[in-house]
Amino acid sequence: MIRLPSVPVVGVKLAATAAVAAVALTACSGGAPSTSSSSASDKLTVQFTGPPVSLNPALGSNGESAIFTALAYDPLVYLSGDGKLVPDLATSWQYVGTGNKVFEITLRDGVKFDDGSTMDANAVVGSLKYFLSAKGPMVAHAGKISSIEAVGTNKVRITYAQPNPDAALSLTQYNEFGLIISPKGVADPTSLLKTSAGTGAYTFDSQDSVTNSSYVYKKNPNYWEPSAQKFQTVNVKVIGDPNAVLSAITTGQVDNAGGSANTAASAKAAGINILTAPFFNWSLNLLDRDGSVSKPLADVRVRQAIALAFDRASLATALGGDYGKPSTQDMLPGTDGYMSNDPGYSYDLNKAKQLMAEAGYASGFEMPVITTSVLDKNTTISQAISQSLGAIGIKVDLHVEATGMSQYSSGVVSKKYAAAIFPTAGSDMMQFYQQDLATGVSQNPENSTDPQLESLYQQALAAPTDSDRTSLYQQMSKRLEDLAWIVPIYAPQTLWFNGKNLHNVSVSATNPNPLPEAPDPSLAWTLGS
Amino acid sequence: MTQLILRRLLMSIPLLLVVSLVVFVLGSLVPGDPAQTILGVDATPDAVAALRDKLGLDQPWYAQYFHWLSGVFHGDLGTSLYSGEPVVTTLAERLPVTLSLVSLSTLFCMVVGIGFGMLSAVRGGFLGRVVDTLSLAGLALPNFWVAVVLVTLFAVKLRVFPATGYTPLMTSPFYWIVGLVLPVCALSLAGIATIAKQTRSAVLDVLDRDYVRTFRASGVSEWSVLLKHALRNASIPVASVIGIHAIASLDATVFVENVFVLPGMGSLATQATLDHDLPVIEGVALYFTVIVIVVNLCVDIAYGLLNPKVRTA
Repeated sequence: MIRLPSVPVVGVKLAATAAVAAVALTACSGGAPSTSSSSASDKLTVQFTGPPVSLNPALGSNGESAIFTALAYDPLVYLSGDGKLVPDLATSWQYVGTGNKVFEITLRDGVKFDDGSTMDANAVVGSLKYFLSAKGPMVAHAGKISSIEAVGTNKVRITYAQPNPDAALSLTQYNEFGLIISPKGVADPTSLLKTSAGTGAYTFDSQDSVTNSSYVYKKNPNYWEPSAQKFQTVNVKVIGDPNAVLSAITTGQVDNAGGSANTAASAKAAGINILTAPFFNWSLNLLDRDGSVSKPLADVRVRQAIALAFDRASLATALGGDYGKPSTQDMLPGTDGYMSNDPGYSYDLNKAKQLMAEAGYASGFEMPVITTSVLDKNTTISQAISQSLGAIGIKVDLHVEATGMSQYSSGVVSKKYAAAIFPTAGSDMMQFYQQDLATGVSQNPENSTDPQLESLYQQALAAPTDSDRTSLYQQMSKRLEDLAWIVPIYAPQTLWFNGKNLHNVSVSATNPNPLPEAPDPSLAWTLGS
Repeated sequence: MTQLILRRLLMSIPLLLVVSLVVFVLGSLVPGDPAQTILGVDATPDAVAALRDKLGLDQPWYAQYFHWLSGVFHGDLGTSLYSGEPVVTTLAERLPVTLSLVSLSTLFCMVVGIGFGMLSAVRGGFLGRVVDTLSLAGLALPNFWVAVVLVTLFAVKLRVFPATGYTPLMTSPFYWIVGLVLPVCALSLAGIATIAKQTRSAVLDVLDRDYVRTFRASGVSEWSVLLKHALRNASIPVASVIGIHAIASLDATVFVENVFVLPGMGSLATQATLDHDLPVIEGVALYFTVIVIVVNLCVDIAYGLLNPKVRTA
């Protein structure tokens, strides 16, 4: 062994001093180098799973990603956490005449855009028209519009080409259409990527933001309802990894985050408040209703047998744990169109086998099914669905599209697959119809139609009252149950993790995506012990 | 030495061109349509076609590449298909984060790795075996697992370091360094192990040479023998390993930045790949290549300083 030369005493002292200083500094930090603090009520930090599609509302996306635009742009109508329509830039709204085709809104007085210009009927018409011309991802949610015109200085009239009973809903923050952009912003849409041009409670601060990472919004000094501004700044941090989300929420670096069923137990153990809401159904969409790819599917008895082959309670528990619910109808409980007196698709293997035998397929058949691992990670849901079908003799040839959603969509419309495994909208019958049942949409590649269903839908669109529409939506649900085109399996719950100091957050089946800002102070989030 | 640097810099030009071309071709071959990704699965074919036309995606890949390349010669790396932001601006925001991470990790690995290696070589015996075992463990433990363990222990349980986030150096040097402690540790484990092992072998080899014995016999102090002569001569292979670690840690930033939510180039590369945002992917690849060239150049210069024969080679 070589003898190590002695180290000068002064060196030891310096090293010790440095070590002590480092420990002391670290201890003083106490994890403080967070850019957020739950205790600082003037600063709210929320997590979002990915960067915004665009900061321009006309090119932005829906759902929870609306946070990137809704903080800076007020909608005409606000959708609250419990699913209520609340006046925002529009103080009132109504259909004119019968048939739900002409919709008129009355605007709030005294509201100014960020640039100081006045929000009036002409500005709103300009913004709505720009939204339609920009052809962004949400344009289909605006409805088929014939004209948009100003009626005086504070009224706007929208005329639809066909009845639209959800006109007010289409003007809420989640559909982007109703987020009003100033005339200056409309004239220079590129500027909207760097500066906001709305009337919202907060304004986008590009200087303090980092693209794809952190989006900072500062209190708008000219907001029309100052009592609803609960924060000086709102920071939306992009955190995709569920474990990083868990770390951030448990250490107080973010105050609100989208949760995951896999990390929910740890979050709960750390004292995090968890909010849940049903949102959509994982469904087996039997695309091939004419039997061109898999002949047996043309027989309604086979489709009904498939619907009866799932032990949904067991599947929901296995796939979603505490945060999965069996789903027996296309519409979720608590939404328009849900049939509370109808059990929907039950689990009955004997009846399923009997139906298969009656249809002439007692020994089963093989069918190609497409799914995507982009949404169904590790394809656990798809494999569970495939295995269940084996119980009635159906052998699934599962094709997993892993490269992206556009490839999956191409596969769905390719007419090579008899069925697709995909989430379907479960909170709004009109949205469900438009996304999954209408002719020309990707989830209906064979353009299947049913006269009875179409008739009910058209009646529902023009229904004079809400109760009439609810009744018609329920009749549609019943008809869909008989047709067994789309078979719901289970509804995963949308989870939200909220820090201990965050209050007034609410979610529901009709609005599972809460937002911190609201036109009414009683609906806005607050921070405080 | 100047000639060496100039030669290396000239050689880097074709390298950059080849890398940019390969990345562009491979990126174009990856299935996926940015226009469809931007507009969503419900978008009409007309809307997708209009956006493809607007973004220039309807052009053949070589036309897109030459258009991009002509911009590069004017200092323009294009515009992100997704955010609409100039790629140069996006990268300027991200570069300091990744450089902080890589440079601190390299520095940390050098100091700790060489220190452990020296200690092990000098003391030998049990300590040497401990360093060997720790080296093996450092190489065997996956970085992502180490990262998760560090976050759970030091951020979630003990609350001594932040779990996520980055504070710019100019905003607060203290929070900058504190925020990087865990990511740097996660990134450095394998590097420390490799450098320690390499240092130990090299120092032991040098210490066994005749001239070292001569120094000792001549009464030269042990500190001088170790630091001035043994370490200097042992440093040549160690410098290579340090360079390799710096380059390898560039790759590792991809997951480290995701775990610790650092707004660096690794997380940007991940997101851009998912979005099929080719201009951003190209920009990241170009910057990464430049960093690799600079690191290799630094290693070459270090060789030159440590070994005069290299300067004239």
